[in-house]
Amino acid sequence: MYQPPSLLEKWSQENNELVNKCKQQEAGGGAVSQDHRQSSLRWCSSEFHKLLRKIQGIPPHVDHSQLELAVVYNTCVCFTAQSQFSEAELLLKEATERVLQVTGNNADTSDPLVLWRAGLKSAGNTALHPHVLYLLCLQWALWLAKCQLENIGELQEQMSSLCEIVCDGVGDGSPSEAKGRLSKSPLLVMEPKRLTELLQICTSIAQGAEKLNEGRSSEALSDLQAASALPATRALVAYTHLLSGSCLAHMNRPQMALQCYKKALETDSRCVCALYRSMLIYRQLGNTQAEIQALRLLHSTLMLPPATEPVLGGIQPLSPSLLLSSQSLSRLLSVPSALSVLYSLALKCVLSGRVTEGVEHYLDLLAALHSEDQHAVDAEVSVLPRMPELYLEAGTALLFTRRPADCMAFCNEVISTTLELVPEKVVLEEPEEGIGGDARGLSVEGEDKVAMLLWAAAAYLVQGHCHAHLKDWKQAVTHYTRCINLLVKVHLKNRDFQPQIPAADVNVKHGKDLCTLQRMKGLSLAWRGISFTQMDQLREALRDLQLSLQAFPDYTGAGLWCGEVLWRLGRKHEAAACWEKTWSLTTQTSVEKLPLYLQDPQSGPLLDSVELRLRIQELGLT
Amino acid sequence: MEGRCAVETWAQFGFSGGSYKVKILCGFGTDVLICTGTEEIYVFSKRERKITTVLLLPAAVNDLVGNQDKQLIYVACRSGVYRVNLQFLLHRDQSSQADASSSPAELKISQECLVVGADEVSSLLLVGSVLLTLCQRDASWLLTLYKTPKQTASTSHKEFGSFNLPVVSAVDCGAAESNRGPRKGSVLICIHSGDVEASSPSNASAESTVAQDHFHLEPLLFKLLFGVEAALAKSPVILCGLPDGRLCFLPLRLPGSCLRVLHSLEQPVCFVGASVVTETGHAQCLVAAGEQGRVALIKTDKAGPEGGSAVAAFTEGCVPGPVWCGCMDKSCFYYSTGADLLRLDLLEGSFARESKERGEETSGMTAAALQSPSSLNVCRVIALAEPACSTAAGDVQLLGVSARGQLQRICLPAGRVDEGSSKLPSTQVSRSVRDLLSAIGDVCERASVLKTVIKSKNQFLRLLNHAVSVSFLLMADTTTDLPIKEKPIRCHFETSWSRLLQKDSLSLVCFLHNSSPFVLERGWMLSITVSPLSYSSSPAGESSSTNFSFPFHDLRPGQTFEASLPIAAAGDASFPMTVSCSLIFSLSSLLGEEEVAASFAGLQSSCISLPLSTLTVDWLHALQLNSPTATHKMATVQPSSAAADSIQTFLSSRQLRCSGRTNRGGESAAKPEPEKYSASVWVSSEIVRDTLKPKKSSNLDAKESIRDPEDLCLSLLERLLSEDTEGVKMGCQGDKIALSTSVAHARGPNGAAMKLSVKEINVGEEESTDKEATIEVQIESSSLAAVCGLHHAVLRRIQTLLQSATEKAASTKNVQILGLRRALQRAEIQQSQISGAFGEVVSTVQRDRLLLSVYQELRRNPLLIV
Repeated sequence: MYQPPSLLEKWSQENNELVNKCKQQEAGGGAVSQDHRQSSLRWCSSEFHKLLRKIQGIPPHVDHSQLELAVVYNTCVCFTAQSQFSEAELLLKEATERVLQVTGNNADTSDPLVLWRAGLKSAGNTALHPHVLYLLCLQWALWLAKCQLENIGELQEQMSSLCEIVCDGVGDGSPSEAKGRLSKSPLLVMEPKRLTELLQICTSIAQGAEKLNEGRSSEALSDLQAASALPATRALVAYTHLLSGSCLAHMNRPQMALQCYKKALETDSRCVCALYRSMLIYRQLGNTQAEIQALRLLHSTLMLPPATEPVLGGIQPLSPSLLLSSQSLSRLLSVPSALSVLYSLALKCVLSGRVTEGVEHYLDLLAALHSEDQHAVDAEVSVLPRMPELYLEAGTALLFTRRPADCMAFCNEVISTTLELVPEKVVLEEPEEGIGGDARGLSVEGEDKVAMLLWAAAAYLVQGHCHAHLKDWKQAVTHYTRCINLLVKVHLKNRDFQPQIPAADVNVKHGKDLCTLQRMKGLSLAWRGISFTQMDQLREALRDLQLSLQAFPDYTGAGLWCGEVLWRLGRKHEAAACWEKTWSLTTQTSVEKLPLYLQDPQSGPLLDSVELRLRIQELGLT
Repeated sequence: MEGRCAVETWAQFGFSGGSYKVKILCGFGTDVLICTGTEEIYVFSKRERKITTVLLLPAAVNDLVGNQDKQLIYVACRSGVYRVNLQFLLHRDQSSQADASSSPAELKISQECLVVGADEVSSLLLVGSVLLTLCQRDASWLLTLYKTPKQTASTSHKEFGSFNLPVVSAVDCGAAESNRGPRKGSVLICIHSGDVEASSPSNASAESTVAQDHFHLEPLLFKLLFGVEAALAKSPVILCGLPDGRLCFLPLRLPGSCLRVLHSLEQPVCFVGASVVTETGHAQCLVAAGEQGRVALIKTDKAGPEGGSAVAAFTEGCVPGPVWCGCMDKSCFYYSTGADLLRLDLLEGSFARESKERGEETSGMTAAALQSPSSLNVCRVIALAEPACSTAAGDVQLLGVSARGQLQRICLPAGRVDEGSSKLPSTQVSRSVRDLLSAIGDVCERASVLKTVIKSKNQFLRLLNHAVSVSFLLMADTTTDLPIKEKPIRCHFETSWSRLLQKDSLSLVCFLHNSSPFVLERGWMLSITVSPLSYSSSPAGESSSTNFSFPFHDLRPGQTFEASLPIAAAGDASFPMTVSCSLIFSLSSLLGEEEVAASFAGLQSSCISLPLSTLTVDWLHALQLNSPTATHKMATVQPSSAAADSIQTFLSSRQLRCSGRTNRGGESAAKPEPEKYSASVWVSSEIVRDTLKPKKSSNLDAKESIRDPEDLCLSLLERLLSEDTEGVKMGCQGDKIALSTSVAHARGPNGAAMKLSVKEINVGEEESTDKEATIEVQIESSSLAAVCGLHHAVLRRIQTLLQSATEKAASTKNVQILGLRRALQRAEIQQSQISGAFGEVVSTVQRDRLLLSVYQELRRNPLLIV
């Protein structure tokens, strides 16, 4: 009877060699590429699997069950590391069934939970027990990776006892006789203790994210705060702080949330998400300066070269990113791309009056987009506006900083690109509930045409503003006329459509187009009127301003200038009425929602309301 | 026919088969790189006019791109993408070139050059510092972007993005794996908007990377096809043609863009390019060509259907022939169908459209232009490229690789414009004459190859037609049951004894007469199978049949084919034997093995077998008559004389009986009396007379000769010995004359001497008075086997005699024939018993007992045939 022991020895020797090789590759694998790492993992898993097949080729027996379970553990670790979850799960199931066979029990169930309970019970106090527990660890990891948190909840008590046993019994201070036994036992690819620690914190994070997603913030908060004390890498601890912050933000405690985010950043300086979340909170609080600061920091952090991939879990086959793949978590951890951060920064700067800074950011953004290093890599839906809009915004920002020549260059670019494609006539349909998806599909090209037209018109409008800024009124009139000429090409499908802006569904695409169209009409007509006023062509000016008020009644500039023209024409009472009416309009549409280029230019001739009121008073007196 | 083009062969390189993706890469100074789908890349130097270097890669090459700036090439192999620093290699090469003579240097590209470890990359593209690879992974096409390092020394190529496009099920027409032409691959090109390099100086490097796979498209068309955003972002657009016919595009530098489908050709895309270049250097037409000849032209239609704005117009059409490869120059699309090189003038179509007013005709005109590519008369080109530098103005030069592995420079005639210039310098004239001659030679070579192919096919068809006619003829024979003499293809046999090396051997000569109107040619074969009639004879050997086949060469109508086959040496044959002959037609011998294997795999072993006739060679055929002269010479053996015959016969028959009784123990004891056994057949002489009469009716004195009983016996004997029954005849003609008595002495095929006598006796007296004279045919021999065999043969002959007799009294004759048949059967059984007895090695006693029982049975049944 020499055969079985010698075979057993051979196998365990083979296993140990493989484990050593694996660990060597892991240790030396810091520098080599992901590719290489992946291929070596593939090799390891196939070798382990081969060995396992050899071992499982004979019926299960107590003598070599320990070795078998160790090899199952190793194989499964390799499989899981390659995201081959179903293969690993199958192996685990087979292994538990074999354990049951060895111990003389028979479970004819396919439910993994029942199977595990039976397996643990039958292993009981035998020598196999720790090994079965290791396998349970792996099952845990698999469930976590597949986001089956409810299974983990079901086996909560087993898990916690498992943690105790694995961490206490095996880790340190184990009795010497156990150590002696261990030295003989086959080697493992990943230390079960470390695996358990990793699993504990990852589970806490995943569960926290899930609860947060379900709205049970306070419950999640306590769990996460408990988890932050667990032994783990900095990155994972930072995650717990981050999630705690999110919970607090959710519970409407922004200051405390900011504290948490700060803690997360202190723990792991690479936790960009914390920075992003803080920025969002500043935005919510209306602290623009802090928001801009945060955005700037966020952008520079994102622009840092990802020189050394943050090694989250040390050099281990199972990485935390594999275990933290739940959707709710990734949603919480997602950070917009550097470009969109830069865009937000630029826009914020311009809107908050730091125009020069904003222009710099706009130019940086365009340069980045044009650089050869920019590539269409991020598959996530870009929050960036479309290219022509970006050009127009940048141009407007330049105009704000009194650089009309540069602004005009930008507008020219847009015009030269789009004008060729602008159709003679375009029909803008009223959005109706009845028309389903197919109508939208049909009108995709038409929609694009509308957008094209609106861009070209906007470019002319901004150019008009430029000339107005330079007080070149003739040129301004020309450009405003070009803009108007383009805008009248749009035919509204629904004739009795109210020119009023449907404020409720501004977000609907067509509604937005319509809103843009009307506002642009109002602006261009009004500004042509103003230009005419400057050229003393008052009749044309009055016509344009009145038309402008028709198209876009809310525009105060048009109302005031209309009054001014009336005044100059000697129709002083009408003028006073017009001014009064304009002042009574309080429904100022929020400036922030409009694209930058559709906002009232901050340059050009201005009317002083105080002076106007004085005139009315004088009129009333006389 | 606008002109002819000159083909100049520059180099010839080893080339196995034409089923690979061949690519020519120009633009490295004077070097041209050619990859042929094998592991080798050839570097051809235009200056030295020879292949200077061969790069040997670890696996078969799929694609090849280059960066002229840095003198780098990227090679996509089965196992990954390799980067080769050409400058370094060639420099080293030149230093070693000094001593090494004309043979090209071979450079192995080692594994260190591997920069991207992805396998089965089907296409490569280099855009600035970005390397793009296209490969198919499971159910999707994967376009992957790699960043190439700034320093050439470093090898790290970082992947920083990839795009997916799900694979659609293969297009049907392409699924029937085309076994001709180059292997299907994907096409990857880069389109720049025309105004890009003019406006932004930062793209200066883009200029230098512009090569075969980079095109500058007119800005308007660019915007129409790829969107305003791509144009504003100044992004190059990657265009890829997939084997499923889709044409996809990807704006490279636009954030958030994805791979989208532009068009579908519905057949594997084999070429994408841009042409109709204006003065500004912008192409106005995007061309995509599918493998089966579908071509899509994409242009700007200034007058869109809605009026006003421009739209992109897609014109699809089919050009003749499969498209193996293609290339573009400023105004034309050149492609090779394998049989010809064709030029499609794209400018023509656009001129036509400009002259026409807007309307439906425009697309019709372009489609018409697609219909009529002009032929350039260069065949078997499998790869094309336009060298970066063309020499003279208006003179187009292409580089091609032919299916035979030749690198050719193809000089196209100058355009239509300068056709009128007839005055050429003499050098040019001589050159053009040379070119013409070489073109003629090329065409001539092709024509002669085609001619031989057609000829051999015709020949083959004719042979097949003959084969079918002949088989039809023979099949008709079997149904109509013609007498053997009237069959269009018939055969008969003759037996003859010959003596060679002191050994007599019997050979069977087969005469096949072809009186059909067809020639039996190559492919036809006469097959003769000889097998013993009695299969039970001996299990040990001999029972197996022997097969002979004789191929015909050219058997014309009216000719006779003669083949002789040895049946047996004296003493070792079992008669009677069946000889069946048939005509066999086999396709494989007609076509040659490999051709059959190539085109009709299922027919390899098949042939048509048409049975001609089956006949029996019996003892009578195999008799070796002792002619009078012969008997004189070996008088010792047979001391018989004609006069003593009757007495002798009587005596011997008596003797036989006695000895048969006395010498039961064994034959050996009865040595002094050679004739020990006898058997006889009695036939009514009336019947014999009747039956022999019509046969001899041609003779004038037939009546008299037959009246005479003596003559009757003689003629019967003659008939027995020499009559050709069923086409088998005894060959010894000379003895026929010598047969003057009604007794014949002969030796059987086993060497036993035997006597065959025919005489008239009266049997009737003993039993009933009204019986008439009977003829007795008596067989005597010392060998029991011989007696039995001969007895059987005689019975067979008489049976045929009777069958051929005029129908007089059908009923009685039927009875007789029945009796005869029974006797025949019995004889056959006896014979098989005898040969069985000799065959099995049992104790002599047992054998003798067996033989005796046969003998007694023989004796017991004297046969009277009435």
